[in-house]
Amino acid sequence: MAPKPISSPVPVAWYPSLAVLMLSIGLLVTASFFIYEATSSRRNRSLSKEIVTGAMASIFLGFGSLFLLLATGVYV
Amino acid sequence: MDRRTLVLLFLLLVSSSLGSSSSSSPDIRVLSAERRIDLTSSIVRVFLTLKVENVGASQASDVLLAFPPTDAEHLAILKASTAEGKRKKKIYVPLSVNPTELPDTPNGAHLFSISLRNPLKTGEAAVLEVLYIITHCLEPFPAEISQSETQFVYYHDSAMLLSPYHVMEQITYIKTPSNKVESYTRVDPTNRAGTELRYGLYHDLPPFSYSPIIVHFENNNPFAVVEELVREVEISHWGNLQVREYYKLKHAGARHKGVFSRVEYQSRPSISGVSSFKHLLARLPPRVHSVYYRDEIGNISSSHLRIGSQKSELEIEPRYPLFGGWKATFVIGYGLPLQDFLFKSPDGKHYLNFSFGCPLLETVVDELTIKVVLPEGSKNPSSAVPFPVNQQLETTYAYLDVVGRTTMVLKKRNIVPEHNIPFQVYYDFNPIFMLAEPLMLVSAVFLFFVACIAYLHIDLSIRKS
Repeated sequence: MAPKPISSPVPVAWYPSLAVLMLSIGLLVTASFFIYEATSSRRNRSLSKEIVTGAMASIFLGFGSLFLLLATGVYV
Repeated sequence: MDRRTLVLLFLLLVSSSLGSSSSSSPDIRVLSAERRIDLTSSIVRVFLTLKVENVGASQASDVLLAFPPTDAEHLAILKASTAEGKRKKKIYVPLSVNPTELPDTPNGAHLFSISLRNPLKTGEAAVLEVLYIITHCLEPFPAEISQSETQFVYYHDSAMLLSPYHVMEQITYIKTPSNKVESYTRVDPTNRAGTELRYGLYHDLPPFSYSPIIVHFENNNPFAVVEELVREVEISHWGNLQVREYYKLKHAGARHKGVFSRVEYQSRPSISGVSSFKHLLARLPPRVHSVYYRDEIGNISSSHLRIGSQKSELEIEPRYPLFGGWKATFVIGYGLPLQDFLFKSPDGKHYLNFSFGCPLLETVVDELTIKVVLPEGSKNPSSAVPFPVNQQLETTYAYLDVVGRTTMVLKKRNIVPEHNIPFQVYYDFNPIFMLAEPLMLVSAVFLFFVACIAYLHIDLSIRKS
């Protein structure tokens, strides 16, 4: 078996579009999180829904900012 | 009386037998030696062809080469090879060369032994090809020149090849960059034709024969010396290899004296500042991207990049032309695609295959440091370099690092362009560690959301609603 070249798990050319896509989804979910927080009263708010929305938003924002860093040339 | 003479005789016998056994040198003699010294650049390259014959009774497995102490100090590379096969199938097989010591070497001569592949039997002969490169041995004379003068240098050597063996026949050719040779020592027969000086043929030279010669000639080649070069290679498994090179460049030729006139330099480039240089060429790997060239002030705009399929060329101009003794410091950085340099070997280890040495052409590096920054979470680093280097490990921190990145530091002195050969750094890496950075970002954002939820759930009002 010959030595196998190693490349990145995601093609480098996709980084900018992935960053835009994931950051915009993340920001939309963040917006829906805050809309839900502002429109529902304290009594009928469900903690599980808040946490699930927050987790969704943070996953998209986290990976989105990683791809933004990679696309701008900060290879972590 | 009788006893005393017997003892004396015995002592004489012992000493003579000891003497013959300790010096192995007379067993070999050099049938012919041809030396070609190339003085056309600032680096001295010597090609030596030796035909050695074993005249001793036992087999000989090593052949010794001798160097004067000044040359040994500046020796950058010493390579030996022997030709195998006939005519068209001729291949050169490299031989191992190691420094050795012998008790009876005169005047501190340094010895190197070449190990032969097949020991020479009595009466057998072998042809050895030796290449050695010496730096910093061309001495500018006059040591200070003004802007309009050309640079002359001294080259010191011996007309005869310094050898621990009896040399039957010997010839030396010295190639100078132009036919402007001011003077040269005559050791008859000496002959000069155009750019070539010939010393020899000399016959029947005893071991360690030495006859100093001086050649004084014009050499206007750029004497570019990088006093210190630090190359940082940062591996990111997200698809990039980031290289940063910190240069401390110096013109090591005759020192500049008097004033520097930019007008004269610009208007009459053929006679003004001929020994100075204003641009350098760096040979970078193909598919290089995001190249920058800057110094402490900021970006230096005078550079040109040509990207090809085999190699990329970066032509850089320092902020000012470099005259003798002048220095320039700058940084070159570039990114490279990961798949060209990082591989996974069959045994599961990752390894980086990168070029040692300095990318600048025809440049000597006094002190080279290569720092290979491995990704966070890599273990068991080891390096494979084809020549002896100092190595140590340290830890560096970059973006989003927690425990720091293991860094392999390789150091070597006296580097010439012939050192630009690949080296490898092996390490173990589990790709799961690549997820550490995104998870760190995710958890930071999630903490913000948790803080928001907590704030909205806590009742901070004083009055009951």
